[in-house]
Amino acid sequence: MDLTYTADEEAFRAELREWLSANIPEEWVKPGFWRNLPEAEAFELRRNWEREKALAGFAGIQWPVEYGGRGGTPGMKAIYDEEMVLAHAPQTVNALGLTFLAPTIMAIGTEEQRKEIIGPMLRNEVIWCQGFSEPGAGSDLAALSTKGVRDGDDFVVNGQKVWTTNAMHGDKIFTLVRTEAGSERHKGISMLLIDMDQPGVEARPLKQMSGASEFGEVFFTDARVPADQCLGEIGEGWRTAMLLLSFERGASGMSQYTEFRRQYDDIVGVARALGRDQDPVLRDKLARVLTELECLRYHSMHVLTQVEQGRDLGSEASMTKLQWSETYQDLWEVFDDVLGADVTLSEPVPGLDLAAFHAEAMWSRSVTIWGGSSQVQRSIVAERVLGLPR
Amino acid sequence: MYFALTDDQRDFSRAVRDFLRARFDLEAVRGVVEDPEGDGHPAALWSAMGEQGWLAVLVPEERDGLGLGMVDAQAIARELGAGVAPGPWRGTVLAAEAIRLAGSGSQQEQWLPKLASGEAVGALATRGSSENGWQGVEYAQVADVIVAADGAGLRILRHDEITTRALAGYDATTRLSSVALAEGAGEPLPGGTAEVLDELAARAAVLVAADLVGISREALTRTVDYDRERKQFGVPVGSFQALKHSMADLHVGVTMAEHAVLYAAHALDSGSGMDDSTALAVAVAKAKASDIALQVTGAMIQYHGGIGYTWEHEAHFFFKRAKRLAGTAGTADEQRRRIAELTMN
Repeated sequence: MDLTYTADEEAFRAELREWLSANIPEEWVKPGFWRNLPEAEAFELRRNWEREKALAGFAGIQWPVEYGGRGGTPGMKAIYDEEMVLAHAPQTVNALGLTFLAPTIMAIGTEEQRKEIIGPMLRNEVIWCQGFSEPGAGSDLAALSTKGVRDGDDFVVNGQKVWTTNAMHGDKIFTLVRTEAGSERHKGISMLLIDMDQPGVEARPLKQMSGASEFGEVFFTDARVPADQCLGEIGEGWRTAMLLLSFERGASGMSQYTEFRRQYDDIVGVARALGRDQDPVLRDKLARVLTELECLRYHSMHVLTQVEQGRDLGSEASMTKLQWSETYQDLWEVFDDVLGADVTLSEPVPGLDLAAFHAEAMWSRSVTIWGGSSQVQRSIVAERVLGLPR
Repeated sequence: MYFALTDDQRDFSRAVRDFLRARFDLEAVRGVVEDPEGDGHPAALWSAMGEQGWLAVLVPEERDGLGLGMVDAQAIARELGAGVAPGPWRGTVLAAEAIRLAGSGSQQEQWLPKLASGEAVGALATRGSSENGWQGVEYAQVADVIVAADGAGLRILRHDEITTRALAGYDATTRLSSVALAEGAGEPLPGGTAEVLDELAARAAVLVAADLVGISREALTRTVDYDRERKQFGVPVGSFQALKHSMADLHVGVTMAEHAVLYAAHALDSGSGMDDSTALAVAVAKAKASDIALQVTGAMIQYHGGIGYTWEHEAHFFFKRAKRLAGTAGTADEQRRRIAELTMN
């Protein structure tokens, strides 16, 4: 057992920490700063900050330097995840592109695609959206029906995508389209890289129960996309999609743990402010969720070890998702218990502004749905890890 | 970053598992369980434990031990749990630990080599006092040496200095007694400070947690295997989603508990003593292992259907041992009180 990082990795930590300290304005760290900004202004601020971070060499940590990455180790990525949270760094504006599209392009894209797409993505010159889910195709993605019909050098695309993160800001969308007439389920799908800035593509915000609209809908009405704007083979989009989704597997859970552990401390602070921190029932509930949080941390170290040893995590990644998402939801349910009768109030006692807390608690209802619902993840664990019959 | 057993540690684990499967399987366990009047201390298993070095794991090399750490010890404890193995392994290892941590040079010389080889059987008594005696001591009846803790510190009690009374209990993979001693009896261990008592309690908690994790993993594996084959309504019962989803959750829980025990063992090996971070790790491991073991062993009975409730089936061995160990070395509720203290002030 050795829970240390290498000397080089720790040197990277020091370098990153120094850059973050010098480049995150104190104002940004104050509670409520991001929430109180108009959305468009917040987005631009984050976009530009992230671009500067990329230019300073702190983006694409594990990606080849030739594409704008840092060329680093999985350990460095884990350190990066931790330090970004500790520094209260702004959230990325290109999450789907960075997490999913870029690794897929590096794995199976053409050299031209790598050159054209990765650098501009890292520098936030191009914001990417993910066009997978549809109203009729959520957990059952293979039921998708957005169609692409060949017309000369282009596909003409008609259909609708939903739950599109950053739809209102997107420049391009990597989209699963049924390009083979009459095809069903996994067959005849292509992953097309569609320009959102054209008349046939309309993005609309989707208002969530939290009041926010992080997600949107994208409507395709005779949208055109050149047939060569396809990632992987035409008609082999399902395989491309499965490879793309597999890139979430290496995510260790370290950033989630760091974030949630801080939230736990904040919730304890609220309990103290309300004079409820000595209540034995609340203390037991908090201790239960803390236990699960620490297990998430240990699991992160286990995952990082597997990645460093070159072992494919496969279906085990479903365990990471279950552990972090269910624990996060439980944490925020305990927060609700701490508030007791005042559970829905923004300010249960004067001066105690809980808007940010309620926002997290509301968001926690979604985390067990997206990224593969908990029900889907349990089926994966049961069937592919435990070998129970389908 | 290396959060895993080394190849050597994995080999040692496998050797323990293979030995038990070949030489002390569940049929042999049943022999002990169905003889509650017997001493629960099968001689063949005990000499094997001595010969294989399982008792010497934490004893320093200069005292004829293997000089290994808690990570190695927890691996053995896990396999003993998986095999629901009887015998005073843990008491002997912990008694040796107490003498190593708090004993004088001559006490260490006198006892450690014998405990490491199995020539002497040890027990650890922590729940009680010299005035009132100690409760729930494992294998006190066959122990050559009992290390007893109370407010005054630690003392060595020899078999002829104590009286024991067998305590009837439903986990027959062990034998429990209360222990009373004659006034003034016992030989103090000079280093029995409060700190050392905490360290000892932490080691006990981690070894018990490891046993619970071994029980949990084995119980889950057997249940999954059974439900994969058992057919009702024309299909394997393991194909029903309610069972699948429950077993998926249990698998996640057991995996987390395995991590937690490994982490806590490593924390104890890392030489920082009982700082808050180590104390938290130990409390998390014992709480998690206790909870998951009760869940899994309960599910084992349930997901075997009626047969899981029979005497003839082995499910109750796992269930009863899990019950006992969940209550040993600090219950989950007690561990959570500690966790709250450590993280809320």
